[in-house]
Order: sequence, then C-alpha cells, then structure tokens
Amino acid sequence: MDFSFSSDQQLLKNSARAFLDEHVKPALVRSLIDDPRGESEALWKEMAQLGWLGLSLPEEHGGSGLGMVETAILLEEMGRAALPAPYLPTILAARAIAEAGTPEQQQRWLPAIATGSARATIAFLDNDLSWDLSTATATRAVGAPDRWRLSGAKRFVPWAHVADVILVPARSQKGLSLFFVDPSTAGITMSPAPLMDVAGRWSTLALDQVSVTEMLGPSGQVGALLNSVVLCGAVGAAAGMLGAARRCLDMAVSYAKVREQFGQPIGSFQAIRHKCAEMLLEVENSHAATYYAAWALDAKSEDHAVAASVAKAYVGDAARKVCSEAIQVHGGIGFTWEYDLHLYFKHAKALEAMYGDGDHHRELIVRQVAG
Amino acid sequence: MDLNYSPEDVAFREKTRRWLEENVPRQDLKTLDERKAWHRTLYEAGYVGMLWPKEYGGWGATPMQQAIVQDEMARIGAPPPINGLGIGFIGPTIIVHGTDQQKQRYLRKMLTAEEIWCQLYSEPNAGSDLASLKTRAEDTGDHFVVNGQKIWTSSGPIADWGILLCRTDLKVPKHKGISCFLLNMRQPGVEVRPLKQITGLSLFSEVFMTNARAEKDDLIGRLSQGWEIAQTTLGYERGANSLGRVTRYAISYHQLVHAAKELKRGGRPLIDDPVVRARLGKMYAELEVQRYAGLRVLSGLNKGETPGAASSITKLSYTEFEKRFYETALEILGPWGQQMVAGEDFEEVDTSSGEPGTFATAFLWSRAGTIYSGSSEVQKNIIGERVLGLPKEVRADRIAR
Ligand SMILES: Cc1cc2nc3c(=O)[nH]c(=O)nc-3n(C[C@H](O)[C@H](O)[C@H](O)COP(=O)(O)OP(=O)(O)OC[C@H]3O[C@@H](n4cnc5c(N)ncnc54)[C@H](O)[C@@H]3O)c2cc1C
Repeated sequence: MDFSFSSDQQLLKNSARAFLDEHVKPALVRSLIDDPRGESEALWKEMAQLGWLGLSLPEEHGGSGLGMVETAILLEEMGRAALPAPYLPTILAARAIAEAGTPEQQQRWLPAIATGSARATIAFLDNDLSWDLSTATATRAVGAPDRWRLSGAKRFVPWAHVADVILVPARSQKGLSLFFVDPSTAGITMSPAPLMDVAGRWSTLALDQVSVTEMLGPSGQVGALLNSVVLCGAVGAAAGMLGAARRCLDMAVSYAKVREQFGQPIGSFQAIRHKCAEMLLEVENSHAATYYAAWALDAKSEDHAVAASVAKAYVGDAARKVCSEAIQVHGGIGFTWEYDLHLYFKHAKALEAMYGDGDHHRELIVRQVAG
Repeated sequence: MDLNYSPEDVAFREKTRRWLEENVPRQDLKTLDERKAWHRTLYEAGYVGMLWPKEYGGWGATPMQQAIVQDEMARIGAPPPINGLGIGFIGPTIIVHGTDQQKQRYLRKMLTAEEIWCQLYSEPNAGSDLASLKTRAEDTGDHFVVNGQKIWTSSGPIADWGILLCRTDLKVPKHKGISCFLLNMRQPGVEVRPLKQITGLSLFSEVFMTNARAEKDDLIGRLSQGWEIAQTTLGYERGANSLGRVTRYAISYHQLVHAAKELKRGGRPLIDDPVVRARLGKMYAELEVQRYAGLRVLSGLNKGETPGAASSITKLSYTEFEKRFYETALEILGPWGQQMVAGEDFEEVDTSSGEPGTFATAFLWSRAGTIYSGSSEVQKNIIGERVLGLPKEVRADRIAR
C-alpha cells in the first residue's frame, strides 16, 4: 500500500503547478471576467499540448490512458488557480463517450477533444435541480428509432456556450437516454446563467422540439452510465475544492505571519493560529478523501461509489469552512474585490453545489451503508 | 499511489484473523491475572511488541502488520493487551535512551506484562505546561530521594514501575532542570490513590511520593536530560495507530444504524427520518475520512517516514471526530443512548479504549482523547507553530527567560 504519489504523478503535479502559476495568475482570471467566452483559446491549446485534455482518454484516440488519480491531480491544481476553462465538463463528456460510444462516435469526438479542437459538456440538470437523474429527468425525447425531438429545460449547464457538443439526458419511451446535441440546432435557446464564481460559466437551455439523430449508450438504459459520470464529476469537483481550499489556507497563513496588530503578528494570537491549524486539518483530510476516492474509481474497488460520495460530502464541507475562515483571518481586506481570496472562495462554492451537494451525497451514503 | 494491500499483507491478515478466531477468549476477562495471561498469549503469537527490535524481545514487524493486527483485534472484539503505555512508548524510550543494564532488566518483563508500567508526568499544577512540574529528586550520594505528587496516572493502581519526570536542578530554567527516572511503585514511599472517572471507573489515580527511593542506575539518559527524553516519549504517544480505532468506530457506527432501524418514533423507524439519515450520512463520511487519513499516515510510516509534528494533525483529527460521533449517536438514540448498563434491549458497544460498555460509556470516554497526551488546544499550537510556521505566542514564561 502506498498513499503517496508515484514519481510520475508528482512530476505531473509539479509541472501543472508551475504552468498554472506562470500562465494563470489572478490577473488572467480577472481579465476573463468580462470576456464573452470567459476562457482563453490559447490556454486551451496549450493544455492540449501538455497532454491534459487527453490525459484520461484511451491511447488509440490520442489520449494517455491515465486515470482519475492523475485527473484529480490536475483538477486540484486548476482549482488552486481558479482556472476558467471547461475542463471538467469536457472530460466528463469524453469519459461518457469513451465508455459508451460506438467506434464512430469515439472516432468523431475523442481525438478532437484530446487535441483541443472540441469542447463538450453534459446537461445534467432539469428544472428541479435534482442529481437523481434516473428519477428526476423531465426533458422528453419523442420519436424513434433514429430521429427524436427533445423538449424541456436544462439548468446550469457548465460551459454550454463554448461547447461543440452537448450530451443531453432525456426521457424517451424506453426510459432515460442520452443524446448528442449540436448546440446550433434549431429549437435551442441558450441564455447565460451567471453565478458568483468568476472561473465558471453556466447556461440555461430551453429545448423546443430540437431535432436529434444520435444517442449515446443503450436506448432507455443510461442511468448507470450517468450515475458513474456524476460520481467522477463529484470526485473531480472535490479535487477542485481541495485546490481552492489549499490556496485559501496558504494565503491565510502567509497573511497571519506578516499582518501586525497590537504590536505582534496576528498569527501569534491563538484565535487565529488555531483557526489555521483547523484549516490545515481539513485540507489534509480532504486530500485523503479526494485521492482515496480517485484511486477507488480507478481500481473499481468495492467501495468506490461510497468513497466518491464521501469525498464530495466531506470536501464540500471542509472547503466551505477553510475558504470562509481564510476571509475571517484577513479581516477587511478579505472582503474586497481587489484582493484575490474571493476568486477561490467563490470557485469552491460553485463546485460545492455541482455533481450533487453534501446532502445529496450523504443520502447516497446512507442508502449504501444502511439501506 | 496504490492502496491495495500487498499479497504478503493480505496473507498476514488472513493468518492473524484465523489465529484470533481460534484464540480469542470466549468469556470476559475479569481479573488482572486473566488479562495478563491473554496478554502473554498474544505476545507469544507475535502480536505484542511487534515494532520492537528482535534483540529486545520484539518481533521486528512492519507498521502495516501492526496496524493489521490492531484492525483485526478490533474487528473481532478481542480484549486489548495490557501494559499499553509500557509497550507503546516507555519501552521504546528505554531502547533509545537507556543503558544496556536497563534494557536487560526491564524490557522483557514489560513485553510479557510480568511488570506493569505507568507514566508519572502530570501533576496537579503541571498539565499542559508539563515543564513546570515540581516533584523533586535529590541526590543523597547513594540514590535519589523523591518527594512530590503526580496525578491522572493511568494504570496507577496496578503498576509495578513508572517512568517519572522530576526536578533535579532548581537553579536553571524550567525545561533544563528535569530528569527522567524509572521508579519502583512497590515501595513504602509510594502511595497510589485511585480517582474515579466520569465513567464511574477508576482507571487513573493520584500518586504520592514521600521520600521514595529512585536508584542511580534507574536514571534514564543524563541528569537534566529529562525534557528532551520526554519529547521522544510524547512523540510516540501521538503517533499512535489510528486504524484499529477507526475499526472500533465503524463497529459502533453499524450498531448505531442497527438501533436506528429497530427504534421507532412517531410510529416509524428512526432510519426513515431524513434528519437522522442526514446525520448518519455525515458521520459515515467523517468516519471514512478518518480511515483514509489513517491509511495515508500508515503508508508513510511503513516507508520509514516519520510524521514528526504532523502527527498532531492525526491525533487532533480522530479525537475530535470521536467526540462528534458519539454526540451524534446520543442525539439519535435519545435516552436509550444514555443507559450505562447493556441490557436486553440494548447491546454492548466497543469504546475507543477497547473497554466494553454502552454508547453512554463510549460517549463519556470520548471526552478523554482531546485532553490526554496533549489537549486539542495544545495540538493546535503545535500545528500552528511547527507545521505552519506561524509566530510563537507571547507567553509569560517565555518573557521571563
Ligand atoms: C483519561 C486520562 C488519562 C491520563 N493518563 C495520564 C497518565 O497516565 N500519566 C500522566 O502523566 N498524565 C495523564 N493524563 C493527564 C493529561 O496528560 C493531562 O490532563 C493533560 O496534559 C492536560 O493537563 P491538565 O489536565 O492539567 O489541564 P490544563 O493543562 O490545566 O488545561 C486546561 C485547559 O486549558 C487549555 N490550555 C492549557 N494550556 C494551553 C495553551 N498553552 N494554549 C491554549 N490552551 C491551553 C487546555 O487545552 C485545557 O482545555 C491523563 C488524562 C486523562 C484525561
């Protein structure tokens, strides 16, 4: 048993940290706030060159065939930088295609995603925002066998406005199915649904008789596929929150060392020092939770589903605590737009609600361990 | 990163499980002699003193193997060995700082529980600030004469020997004048008075030393080296293994789930109440995270890494978790959870100490962990100063120096 990163994994982490420190400074994040796309094409291409976009894709489609642990390593660093990019939605969609797509579908999308020429997303949520997709999906697909019309509403679809393809779960006569949707198809109205996070973009989709011709996975039976993708999303989000929390902790500790009041650094006051110690505890536990779950997904261990829910539920609470205490440690400056803390605070907040919030995953845990 | 147990570890676990199934006593151990006998059986099977070097009677096992044994013992509900303080850190302290003669004299009998050990550190006015201790040892030429009082001494009433911190030099700053001795508890100058704990049991005590005798040969390390030696000791204590503990919590957790299915309120089982479910979900998440974090520390130890001050994070994490867990259990169970005696409608649970009891006992026990071997507040000071590098606080005793 070895809980530490292998040397390759450590190398990946170091190079991601170095790259993001250099190219994704807070100034860049801020410069994209008013950008209509909200992301940088140049950066996306560089990420493709670094092999990040194909990291977890099969080698025959231009990927590196690595797993969720490596993906989490990247996502942690991206969270630490509050990187504005459609990385997580794209790789989740890619994962679904790699898992359930026909050879043609894989050939059509995976190499394009790996090289950075295509972005993808999944429109998980309907109006009631439930992550129990099997029961909650209200969007309808009418027709068959090779042409359907989708109608319904999709909420908070991440990065839909830059996606080349949107995977849309909808209920057909046969049950829950998943459709490839070209965002430019007639009948789709896309409007921005901005949240407080400046590193993410969301859209509302109104679907009115949208004509589609392609399904992903078995007709009427994609519940399991979607659940497994949501669990990957949950672990990915945990990794992002872990990164944001670590950034907030680092900033709080540095600040507590230099900010003086009453003639001494505020870090010498126990009220501040103990907060920082508790924050570190939460960050270290979140590391254990995130990477245990990532490993469990890769290893398909018996407890992988529980572990993913544990990670999302635990790290969500932990990141909330760490990021908000970091603001408290900073005092007034922590409440300003100019100071960078809020970038990470808000980014973690957005991830907390996605791929199932703590309450959702706590219920999933109880269903599995207590029935 | 690979969280699979190695084939050797899996085989070792199998072997351990089988051995325990065959050998765990069928009845509760009542007397000290019965517990000593069980301890010796465990020792002879290679399950006590596992990390001690072979030359001192230990088994030279890996931290992983030790963790597996603790885990399996928790799983099957085996009574723990006795002499935990001795084997956990007093022995290792002697191994590091003791003379050959001391090693010869004490180690083997400690391992076999022929002699039981206690830790004579805390005093009525020296707890977290241990270095302010006042118990004196004076050199009479032939031996040292010890006068003073210790308190909260676990296993005091059954101990044959104690590791003692006392002041041997009054003229130097407080950390510098402390020495460490091995003290014979079975002598006229040592009086042990049991103290009753909030659980109703008397597992710790006061110890009064009145012209007690400490032999020169029983000085550990050099005169006035006591504080430094105590630091090694405390390190061992905090690095203590958390995997077996987590397994005990997990067993309690499943007992709690079982109870929540059986108990009804307003005509429906508690487990169907969304508030109860949310609490259970939260506790399971926290419990699992303790396990993952424990595995992370263990895998580091197994590679020979020493966690150092970071072990404070582990200790803080699981002791605070334990309190939250049993608070939640009692919240869910209501008055059922406060019963001190297991009865027909209520089963026994394992407390974290390994002593059997009820949820109420376990709940009460959970208050101890955040006080002993460095309170939570002290751990946070250590984490703040030594792990995060935050500035030290202004303290009266630091100014005085
Ligand atoms: C079950 C149990 C078994 C024990 N067994 C033994 C044993 O076998 N041998 C032995 O020697 N001792 C033993 N102890 C004693 C234990 O080590 C002490 O209780 C502990 O060190 C705290 O000291 P104290 O009780 O004097 O509390 P105090 O030190 O007086 O602490 C009181 C409160 O003040 C806080 N505090 C103290 N200093 C600081 C600070 N610098 N910053 C912030 N807060 C602070 C503490 O955290 C605590 O909340 C045992 C205790 C318990 C509960």
